[in-house]
Amino acid sequence: MKRRAVSCGLLLLACAAFATEDAVTFVDRNLKRTPVNTVFPEYPRKAWRDRVEGDVVVCFHIDQSGKPVGVRVRQSSHRVFERPAVRAVRRSRYLPLAADEQPSAVKSCRTFRFRLEPAEPTG
Amino acid sequence: MRGRRFAALCTLLAMSAATASETPRTVIGPTNVDLADGAAALLAGDAEEGVRLTLRGLKRAAGDRDRHAAWSNLCAGYLMLGRPDDALSYCNRAIDANTGNWRAYSNRAILHIQAARYEEAEADIRRAEATNPRARKLGEVKRMLLDKTNPVVPSISVDDGRGDLPAGDEPVDDSS
Repeated sequence: MKRRAVSCGLLLLACAAFATEDAVTFVDRNLKRTPVNTVFPEYPRKAWRDRVEGDVVVCFHIDQSGKPVGVRVRQSSHRVFERPAVRAVRRSRYLPLAADEQPSAVKSCRTFRFRLEPAEPTG
Repeated sequence: MRGRRFAALCTLLAMSAATASETPRTVIGPTNVDLADGAAALLAGDAEEGVRLTLRGLKRAAGDRDRHAAWSNLCAGYLMLGRPDDALSYCNRAIDANTGNWRAYSNRAILHIQAARYEEAEADIRRAEATNPRARKLGEVKRMLLDKTNPVVPSISVDDGRGDLPAGDEPVDDSS
């Protein structure tokens, strides 16, 4: 009798775990949002002058209307690039969701690579 | 824009020449008021007044110390005034008198850059660095040279993939 109760409890726990997993899977279905306006950051003048290159990873949620919210820097090789990257993400837009769709609870991430390439000498 | 930046750099170099108390080029002090006022004028960005007062002070220079300071500041002043030949002449005098005068080398490097004599500019920057490798103003001059000899343009790419995130740093479910 006792053993049956334990088995039943385990079964319930397993169901609960599955339910959680299902919820995440449901969210993942909406993860792929289509960008409609991707704003590129400006290369910081100081970094350009000092010939500094770097990468910034910015993560954010996308709300129902397609606006990035909760924008945070996840990783950056140099602080000088963080503000322009965050600003660019905030100004970018994604395709809005239909009324019956739910925004993902999973953050999207965007990597910006700031590079300097050789140009024609002016002298 | 470029001219303003250049003038600001010259002012900085003149200021350095005028205020560094550990070198014989220092002109601040009561011994030669014109030199001191000329340096102050250069510092304030008034190249014309700075050169006028420095030339007057040079006539009354009490010794080599005053003369070297005046030449160095005249080099910077004429540079600011856009008179490269006069500036070069005073830079050369300052360097001949004191081969450790990194500010004069730095000013002369700017003159060389303006005249597209990049190898000479590089050599002067190296000499200045040998004397004072930590001088921040030299960084500015080096950048001026690099902008001429090895210019770069920015290129920014955007990647929405997650392949770059290290393990354990995947996008997370923040809903909880």
